[in-house]
This record gives sequence, C-alpha cells and structure tokens, in this order.
Amino acid sequence: MSMFTEEEIKKKVREGYMVESVEEMTEGYKKSLIVQLTVQADTELMSAPAYWRAAQHAPSTNTQVSAHAIIQDELAHANIAYRLLEDLGVSKEKLVYGREPHEFKHPYGFDQPLDNWAELVVANGFFDRAGITLLSDVYANTSYGPLKRALVKVDMEETFHLRHGEVWMRRLSKAGDHAREMLQRAVDWMFPMTLEWFGLPDDMKRHSGQLDYKLKGLTNDQLRQVWMQSTVPLCESLGLSAPAHYDEENKEFVLDYPFPCEYDAEAKHWDFEGGEISWNQVFERWKARGPMNEWYVESVRKSRGQVEAWLNGKAAA
Amino acid sequence: MKEAVFDVFARKDRGDPLVHIGYVDAMDAELARVYAWKTYDEQNWFEMCVVPRTAIIPVNRTDGPFAANALGRKEGEG
Repeated sequence: MSMFTEEEIKKKVREGYMVESVEEMTEGYKKSLIVQLTVQADTELMSAPAYWRAAQHAPSTNTQVSAHAIIQDELAHANIAYRLLEDLGVSKEKLVYGREPHEFKHPYGFDQPLDNWAELVVANGFFDRAGITLLSDVYANTSYGPLKRALVKVDMEETFHLRHGEVWMRRLSKAGDHAREMLQRAVDWMFPMTLEWFGLPDDMKRHSGQLDYKLKGLTNDQLRQVWMQSTVPLCESLGLSAPAHYDEENKEFVLDYPFPCEYDAEAKHWDFEGGEISWNQVFERWKARGPMNEWYVESVRKSRGQVEAWLNGKAAA
Repeated sequence: MKEAVFDVFARKDRGDPLVHIGYVDAMDAELARVYAWKTYDEQNWFEMCVVPRTAIIPVNRTDGPFAANALGRKEGEG
C-alpha cells in the first residue's frame, strides 16, 4: 500500500516531490511509470538490431567503429531501463524473452529496414533526435529519482548519436548527385515516420497519466514542435526538402501533408495523395507491426537458449 | 540465466565524490566488472567500483532497493 492517495501523490509531484522507492508509489503512478519505461527500454533495444543490420553498409573501418559504438550505447540504455523496471517488480527476463515480437512497445519506425548508409545516418539524425527530445523532457521533468539519474548518461550519449547523424547528413548532401539523392529519399520516408512516432495529437488525447504524475513535462504536440524546431532548419540548411514549414503568424511549425496518412512499408512511401486517415487506422498499422519486427526481435535473443544449455552442462537443443 | 544486481559507483576525477552511477546484472563479480566498465563508458572515470546489491546495508531507510538487506528487519517487524 502506498503512503499516498492518487490525489496526494499528484499534488506532491506537482510541488516538486521526488519519488525514490516503489513503496511510495500509488498503483496509478506505478502503472504509468511501467508503461513509460517499457516503451523506453523496448525502443532502445530494437534500435540496436536496426542499426546493426544497417552498419554493414558503413563505408570504412572507422565508420564501422562509430556505428557500432552507437549500437553498444543503445543496448546499454535498454539494459538500464529494464534494470529500472526490475526494481519495480517487472521481470526483465519475461520482457525480453517472454513476449511475442508484436508485443514489444517500440515505435513503428523501428520495425522498418534501414537499407543503406544514408538511411542509417538519417535514423541517427531523426530518430535519435526524437529520442533526445522525449528523454530530455523526461530528464527535466520526471518525478522519479532513479530515472532522472539514469538519464544523465543516456542523454549524453544520444547527443553523440545525433551529431554522428548530422555530420554525415551534411557530408552526403555536400557530395551532391547520387549521395544527395539517397539522402533525400531517406528523408522522404523518415521525416513523417518520426512525426507519427510522437503519437496522438493533443486535441484527441483525453488524459495523460504521465503528465499527471509528472513523468514527463510536454504534450505530444509540443514534443513534435520541439523536434521540428531542430530538424526543419537542419534540412533547410542542407538543401533537403522536408514536408513542413514555419508559420510566422502562429509561431509554430505546420505540416505540408495530411497527418496522419497511410504508409506503404514495402515501397517506403507515404501516401500524401490518399489524404488524411483516422488515428484508429494508424493504431491498426502499428499493431500489425512492420516488415522487420520479427527479425529484429529474434536477432537479439536467438542464441540465449543455446548458451544457457551449455552452462547447464547440456548440448544445445 | 541467473544474474545478480551489482550497483556501480564511480569518481570522475581526483578529489571528486564517489557517486552511484548505475547498475548491471551479472552472473558473477568478474563479469560485473567487465559489464560496468563497458556500459558506463560515457566518462573517463578516475575510479570505478561494483558492489553486489545484497552487500549494501541501509542505515536509515526502510524502503527502496536496499530494503531487503536491512539488519534485524524481521526482529524489528516482529
């Protein structure tokens, strides 16, 4: 039993109270925190096989090293988030090994194949920027002490991933011709993919436990704006076209395409002409998961049974 | 795999305090040292240590991750 009622804990965290132990949490607080941490952990974990598969396209041994350093960071971040979940009584073992691939809670973007070096660096520039946008908001606002402390390391390293992405985007765009065309193609599918990642618009989201319990500070639409504040100028400075612009009058970024809209994962194509679809249709697409879902999940866990059998003195099954 | 929790402490520079920076799950202390060094590589630490969580004895709190190790917990409660 928590020492607080739901109303008390909401009031306390609004006043700056930091929760340090599971014993202090109400059921509602704990539930919201577990959802948040599961999404965070699964996202970090699934970025690893996505980046690992793409790292084979690294153009040199040096770039292999930096690509793999990023993968190593992502796995460590996943491990840290799963560790925090364990302290809340959730089994990491069950989360990582006991779920079906479609039950993982990472965004749809990490169900997609990254098929060349341009796609990997745009993933670093866009997806990792989304990661920093979300997690630095959590860092600045969270009422859960252990998570705030864990994020010091995570934010520091995500910033490096982002730099890696931006530096390489700049280099490819300067090269022009085919390099630039590959870059633009990656931007074309990954820009809308990242915007969708932030979820339901505020006018449709009735209630957010994560805001009530101060597990984050900004709403989905505000986070989308923060992401565009860096990403749209980045694209403009590189001469890349991105489907959004700044509206001087309303002082905000506006999308130049129907949002949300349908996505053809095979063709990596957003159907702007098909017009706006409902968020229920988006949720259906997310629930069905994308083309790489099973491959990514199994690639991080396929050998586990084998080594466990060796350690128990048995030949692998 | 049976893994235990190890808490990780580190000091950035000479004269700095030793602070709790995180945790790793490992099968034994030897692997915990390796995991900690590889995982928490965001700084060039002057000093890093790992401590099995079961070895951390709380002094003044009865909740949180170390509560299970409280001395005389049973007697206190009984």
